[in-house]
Amino acid sequence: MHSLKIGLFIPCYIDQFYPGVGIATLELLQKLKLNVSYPLKQTCCGQPLANTGAEKEAIPVYRNFIRNFSRFDYVVSPSGSCVYHVREHYDILEQTDEVKKVRKNTFELCEFITDILKIDDLKIHYPHKVGVHQSCHGLRGLKLGKSSEIIAERYSKVHKLLEKAGGIELIKLHREDECCGFGGTFSVFEPDVSVRMGLARVEDHQLNGAEIITATDMSCLMHMEGIIRRQKKNIKVVHIAEILNSNSL
Amino acid sequence: MNAHAQMAANFLANRERSDWHDQTLWMVRQKRDRVALSVPEWEQLREQASKIKDNVLSNLENYLLQFEQHALANGVKVHWAVDADELNRIVLKIINDSKAVRVVKSKSMLTEECGLNPFLEKLGIEVVDTDLGERIIQFRNEPPSHIVLPAIHLKKEEIGELFHEKLNTEKGASDPHYLTAAARAHLREKFLSADLAITGVNFAVAETGAVVVCTNEGNADMGVHAAPVQVHCMGIEKIIPSTADLGVFTRLLARNATGQHITTYTSHYLKPKEGGEMHVVITDNGRSERLGNVKYRDSLKCIRCGACMNTCPVYRRSGGYSYRYVIPGPIGSILAPYADIKKYKDLPFASSLCGSCTDVCPVKIDIHQQIYYLRQEITGRSKFPGFKKISLKLAAKIFAAGRWYDLSGKTARWAMKHLSRKIIYHPLNAWGRGRELPEVPERSFKEWYKKNIKS
Amino acid sequence: MSREKILHRLRQNSPLPVPPPGQFQENIVLAKEKLVEIFSRSLKQAGGECIELSNADDIYGWLQTHYPGAVDFTRGDAGKTYSAGCAKEKLERLETVVLEGRFGVAENGAVWIDDSCFPHRLIPFIAQRLIIILHKNQLVSDMHEAYNRLDLTGTGFGLFICGPSKTADIEQSLVYGAHGAMEMGVVLVD
Repeated sequence: MHSLKIGLFIPCYIDQFYPGVGIATLELLQKLKLNVSYPLKQTCCGQPLANTGAEKEAIPVYRNFIRNFSRFDYVVSPSGSCVYHVREHYDILEQTDEVKKVRKNTFELCEFITDILKIDDLKIHYPHKVGVHQSCHGLRGLKLGKSSEIIAERYSKVHKLLEKAGGIELIKLHREDECCGFGGTFSVFEPDVSVRMGLARVEDHQLNGAEIITATDMSCLMHMEGIIRRQKKNIKVVHIAEILNSNSL
Repeated sequence: MNAHAQMAANFLANRERSDWHDQTLWMVRQKRDRVALSVPEWEQLREQASKIKDNVLSNLENYLLQFEQHALANGVKVHWAVDADELNRIVLKIINDSKAVRVVKSKSMLTEECGLNPFLEKLGIEVVDTDLGERIIQFRNEPPSHIVLPAIHLKKEEIGELFHEKLNTEKGASDPHYLTAAARAHLREKFLSADLAITGVNFAVAETGAVVVCTNEGNADMGVHAAPVQVHCMGIEKIIPSTADLGVFTRLLARNATGQHITTYTSHYLKPKEGGEMHVVITDNGRSERLGNVKYRDSLKCIRCGACMNTCPVYRRSGGYSYRYVIPGPIGSILAPYADIKKYKDLPFASSLCGSCTDVCPVKIDIHQQIYYLRQEITGRSKFPGFKKISLKLAAKIFAAGRWYDLSGKTARWAMKHLSRKIIYHPLNAWGRGRELPEVPERSFKEWYKKNIKS
Repeated sequence: MSREKILHRLRQNSPLPVPPPGQFQENIVLAKEKLVEIFSRSLKQAGGECIELSNADDIYGWLQTHYPGAVDFTRGDAGKTYSAGCAKEKLERLETVVLEGRFGVAENGAVWIDDSCFPHRLIPFIAQRLIIILHKNQLVSDMHEAYNRLDLTGTGFGLFICGPSKTADIEQSLVYGAHGAMEMGVVLVD
């Protein structure tokens, strides 16, 4: 483990608005005895531009990502959607060995822990009622879990990491993987539908007794938190990295 | 706001109605889940259906010719329509040649797409839509808001009022049984007096020349067997190779559409009735062109089940009319721009790209991925007002270079922290419609890292 | 000509050839003993009735008791009275009709009938009530078996029919008897 070089990618909105999530991710990876670096010239994965339809304009952004991370064995990020974007949509770059390497080895935090480090018990004590919001890009894009549409055996890497936490109660939702409605620029191009979807998610968690909503994507949580605060609801959002980092390792 | 967003906002303004729409369609999605669970090989079935359609699309010419050959041998008349206008003219000719006056029609999204009804009505030919849902919206002069459940946007009280006006049912009566019985009697009279019946085609089988139509009500059959002349309108992509393939599709269609194991009637029309005529109109209307486009060709695999609509949280909460196209929802967001990219350029943005549609699609169309590709095309070719294109280029430059990115982030945070609430949450702030902006931290992660870690 | 135009475009735009998949292999083929049970359950789910009689001779007694006015197309002269050229108004007055089913499908409760079972194609739809007689050993597991078994040579019209006509177009409330039969039942005999 010590010999593996891990590059930490912190999504733009976490860098700007939720640095605590980045700090938790870094601390957790260090606790797991990993050699983690944070390249200072990193900016963004380019998804906001690409989702607006400007993927050609985003190519320099993509190249900056590759430049910053090509020297690492793995790139780890507390964001399912950014990782999905790198693995799926960087196909428009010329597929050099460097590009292929980065795309193949960029992981979201939870899947990195379960699949690469092969750990499912982080010795967490978390006596709370927690609802897991299964962010779409992580769930259906990275296959972090089985989506409800698919007829197959159930699994969820996020739930796996939380199950063994002391005192935790993972609540069951009415709609276990309905989209929260953030969708990047969708949240501002279609504000009414976006808010209605986010509100429905929050209400589902509240109705089923959750005190805390967690997810792999701070973007979803930022959107739901914005609704929670506007409507003064009594429920909190906590990114999965912060829960996993509250361990006794 | 763009057209879809505006109409969605209007739809959502009626909270009770939009919640009901969302809940009702979610229940249809759940019904689909329940029956899918009863088929252990469900995912293999989807894969098979997808592969059959891939083979069909790479062999359309041969399969269509094979179909034509068998149909002709069975005494069926086969016509070919290049576009919507030609489909309409062919149907008109058949009507005139057979001196038909009264025409009944069962569900056909193709004829909706081609505007057959308004075309015939302008020429004084009465066309009665015989699916209960279609008849309801025909009475109201409205388009369908869902391809399988066209009247899903209406409450029974509204239908009761409509039937009181059109069918003389009791005023205030809204019991679905009562209303359906009234429609049954009214439409029976239409069936028995019709001269010509038009239907859509769920599947056309190349191996035998058979036309397969699936209904729950039996209206396609009532029309087809009572009228001397039957006309089946099909898109070129509805062809499937063999009878054995029907096994796959009939196991998938109803389960995806309504959550039933099979529709009440799965009718196979091979030969005209004694003394009758049977016609099939094979229609292109832009499909062969889409076939040539590798990014969007898979949308031709669609079997029009509607499952993508039922699962789409955006569709459920914005209603079919916000798409303004004969086929709404996720698949509609690909088909509509293809038909008219200027008019429907907002539709690929009416999606959060959650991917649920792709996961339910029985023929594994990568719907959300095609929506993503369409966004690139629309933004790429659009005649954006100058400043929007410049601001995109500027944003790209900022995101590509560390220093500019850090500076702009810092500026934004400062502004959010220090500007008054009134300025930040002004009406143009779309995020602020219903949400608070995130709280501004003391420093960014990068700033923290530089201070605490980097030595 | 339009036909040539379309075919030409298809030739031009056709993707590279993709072979058809092999025959579909379903995971589970229902055991013969279970076919009756599953067929019955599926049909009931679709709003139909399923009655089991042990002796084929019992059918006519059973019909006489429960539906004395039924027009039975499985025997006798009914086929002559309601021929292919029969007036629609006459057919409209049919209350209960009895047809013979060729085979049934357990996974969904559907029965295959075709123009060898009725003299006029409207009959399965226009009657108020439809009864189909089916032999228990004519049940197959699923639609793959069904289509394997189907021989359409000579058939002009045939269908899988499952339960009574139905609609949920009014607020998703299920109503039987939209345009076709209001009631439908299968009599399973040995």
